[in-house]
Amino acid sequence: MKSVRRFLNRVANVATRRAQDERLRQEIEEHIALQTEENLRAGLSPVEARRQAMLKFGGVEAMKQDYRAARGLPFIENLLGDLRNAARTIRRMPGFAAVIILSLAIGIGVNTTIFSWIQTVFFQPLPGVNGAANFLLVEPRSETGGYPAASWPEYRDLQTQLPALRDLVAFEMVPFNVGETGQTERTFGQLVSGNYFSALGLAPAIGRFIRPDEAERPGAEPVLVVSYDYWQTRFRGAPEVLGQKLRVNERDLTIIGVAPRQFQGTVLPLKYELWAPATLAPVLLGGARDLEDRGTRAFSLIGMLKPGATPQQAQAELTTAMAQLARDYPAASAGVDGEILSFWKAPRGPQRLMISGLAILQGVMLLLLLAVCGNTANLMLARGSTRQREMAVRVALGAGRWRIVSLVLSENMLLALLGAGLGAAIAVWGTTALRVAPIIGAFPILFQSRVDALTLALAIALGVVCGLIFSAAPAVHLAWLAPQHGLRSSSNTPPRSRARKALMGVEVGLAMVVLIAAALFLQNFHSARQTDPRFRPEGILLAAYDLSARNPEDASEREFAARLLERLRSLPGVEAAAIATNVPLDLHGIPARPFTVQGRVRTQAGQDRAISNTVTPGYFALMDIPLLEGNDFAAMRDKAAPAQAIVNEEFVLRYLNGADALGRRLQTRGSTFVIVGVARNSVYDAFGEPAQPAVYLSYRDLPSIQGEIHLRTRGGNEAALTSEARAVLRDLDPMLPLYDVRTFSQHIERNLYLRRIPARMFVVLGPLLLGLAAIGIYAVVSYAVARRTREIGVRLAFGATSTRVVLQIIRENLGAIAQGAAIGWLLALAISVHAITKGVINLPVFLGVPAILLGVATLACWIPAWRASRIDPVAALRHE
Amino acid sequence: MKQKTDVLQGTLALMVLKTLDVLGSLHGYGIARRIEQISGDLLAVNQGTLYPVLLKLEQEGAIASAWGASENNRKARFYRLTRQGRKQLQVETQDWEQTSAIIGRFFAAKTEDLS
Repeated sequence: MKSVRRFLNRVANVATRRAQDERLRQEIEEHIALQTEENLRAGLSPVEARRQAMLKFGGVEAMKQDYRAARGLPFIENLLGDLRNAARTIRRMPGFAAVIILSLAIGIGVNTTIFSWIQTVFFQPLPGVNGAANFLLVEPRSETGGYPAASWPEYRDLQTQLPALRDLVAFEMVPFNVGETGQTERTFGQLVSGNYFSALGLAPAIGRFIRPDEAERPGAEPVLVVSYDYWQTRFRGAPEVLGQKLRVNERDLTIIGVAPRQFQGTVLPLKYELWAPATLAPVLLGGARDLEDRGTRAFSLIGMLKPGATPQQAQAELTTAMAQLARDYPAASAGVDGEILSFWKAPRGPQRLMISGLAILQGVMLLLLLAVCGNTANLMLARGSTRQREMAVRVALGAGRWRIVSLVLSENMLLALLGAGLGAAIAVWGTTALRVAPIIGAFPILFQSRVDALTLALAIALGVVCGLIFSAAPAVHLAWLAPQHGLRSSSNTPPRSRARKALMGVEVGLAMVVLIAAALFLQNFHSARQTDPRFRPEGILLAAYDLSARNPEDASEREFAARLLERLRSLPGVEAAAIATNVPLDLHGIPARPFTVQGRVRTQAGQDRAISNTVTPGYFALMDIPLLEGNDFAAMRDKAAPAQAIVNEEFVLRYLNGADALGRRLQTRGSTFVIVGVARNSVYDAFGEPAQPAVYLSYRDLPSIQGEIHLRTRGGNEAALTSEARAVLRDLDPMLPLYDVRTFSQHIERNLYLRRIPARMFVVLGPLLLGLAAIGIYAVVSYAVARRTREIGVRLAFGATSTRVVLQIIRENLGAIAQGAAIGWLLALAISVHAITKGVINLPVFLGVPAILLGVATLACWIPAWRASRIDPVAALRHE
Repeated sequence: MKQKTDVLQGTLALMVLKTLDVLGSLHGYGIARRIEQISGDLLAVNQGTLYPVLLKLEQEGAIASAWGASENNRKARFYRLTRQGRKQLQVETQDWEQTSAIIGRFFAAKTEDLS
């Protein structure tokens, strides 16, 4: 208690130091005055009286020291002093400080931004839901390793058979057509189990949520919960929204509540607007048998562990339960077991893709930050050496080593923390910029990442770590300096520069890795506009339709597609029309499906997989993908031809060793198809991808609920076809909206959006890093040259040509640089070959980047060397 | 001699408390004089060492201080004992007496007593 009080007192005293000093001064004065009077009374002369008084009082300065030590906190006061000193030093060299602070700020800002994204995915995958990261996915897993999702009856069974989980929740994504006939709008929602909102621990913004009994019997209650945004934009936030009816898929649903503001559904980062009880599925999806049929696997299941339960326990229970289901319902569940997955491993939705991308990005950016640190350390070392004399004076005056270390540290920490602060500001800007990301693809995406306490802490921690990293070398260097040496040494003693050269090499190596990564990425990105996708995207209009609200059968789906195509082809502006289930270069990718093909002997265990797309006849002609062998698919209404497949060149090469493919049988998706044609390879997932095997199936054999209409314009603007296409569809089915209408070029651009963010980052960061490396090299070389002015002068005086001097300096420094660069280059090559391009070496990048980097490095060496060679030998020799 | 002053330093705080307890409110010089009078010339040099001790006691809350006028009407800082200081004095006096009694007995003990 006493010590606490004393401590608080001391803290207060640090603040009121001046007043305290004044008080002590007055007390001493008073004391001595009183003593002097006493001495005078004892008969001493005035001068002697005062002298004796002073003697008696003792050493004033020593006492003051004691007094101050007892009064305040010497550690803090020293620190404050150091900080003041640091601030002064920084003010004296604004350019130097600006380079360091800015480069750190960018490094830290970028890292913090990416971290906030990763953090969102891992720790806050469900905005608005507390502890969302604790939810586990319960995923049925098929023999092929795929995750086919769960059926509703399966969910009801698992609910009772997984005691380790509490509140197992089921949800299914559904596209809703909201509005009156003819003016519907496509809105995404989820059909959810009755415990959905309560298990997520949500409280409604207004109204109430779906009650468990409302998701008990099929068609029980036509109720609807809307998102906060939907409430604000469609109903202007009016409380009267409760009880209103909304026409959804031609049913009136009563709005009973509004979800809390941030909540956007349970698939990151998709944004849903509507939630309805799962038991409405037959009503909303036109009599779909989602609720009874064990084969209709549409639901995702999540649950939280009960206190004390382990994921292993849940996994064991799930395995038992799925085995039992497989025995009880062999038709639907044979060969299907289950797996408990962490939420971020969700097999559906773009999460996985995002995580691997973000992890790579974060790794590269941490390297960048390390390079920035190396650069800063180098600058600090170079500058620190010029301060040898200052430090030597401090040591000579009695400053301990730790005082010097703390001095250097506080200076660097101040710089680092300023950088971190600015970096945090950049991160705030970066995450906000991302939040306003536009709708990508067919699904609205909202990524609610933000800078919170954890990310801020990370920014500061990064700052501190950086500060420590780039303080270490200069601090050690200066603190262990022998004062005599520091005082005596003048500019004519060549300094030991091994540390600086090594740092320079490391920095160049890191720069090499990051620059190559950036260049690979950029080139990959830019090839989007340059490389040939091996089909012709120009002049194609894309639009999607979805019959899932219709409960169609195969025959009606096929008929619908056939009629739609006939009508579209009759439009004057349309040169060709086709429908496909997948569009190449889609953000979500094209599914690769397992298959077996006649004549293929598998040498390895596991399954063969190929990109799988279902298309209508005419697709290849429309896309300008030539058929190298065989023919196009049979016409849509052809009832005689067997089920057909067309494969691509890579398929033939990889799985049939180039043998004749036509006529072979291929099994996939539960049926057998005859190969009738071989198409040229084209791009499926990404520009510059290695050739992928692909199987095209016909819409005639496998009609689909949804389709992407492809229209090739007869010349002119493909976007102009939109209204005509809409009219055709409305004519066929007034309730069915055409959604996600875009030109193929727009489709490509939009789906490159996620890649564009890192691409832009690299565009800014690449040159910045190059600049930093140049500054670092320049600083080191010019410093080293400055220290050797006299030596250079001697050489020149003895007749060395300035060219020779320049060459020698460059050679000396380029050695270290080249070593670092070579190591970085090999590292980048190894990473690239093994992880990114998988065996393909991008020669222009791997030759161009080192050329540029070494060019810049040489220039950075040359400038100071050239300046040094121009000095007058006489002046140089006099130089002190 | 040096040893003796060191011990004295350690007990200076106790002396200050006792002085203030006996004499009431007093300024620094007064305290120094009083201790000097009682302890002989032990505190003759280094009167200044008193001030850090005063500060420490004040920070601990054993004494309080305020500006006032000295005998010759000059501004002076007056120290007085607080209630807590009085308690502290009691405790420390007891401790001291105990310690000195033990030490006393220890010195008085003869070799044969210890065996």
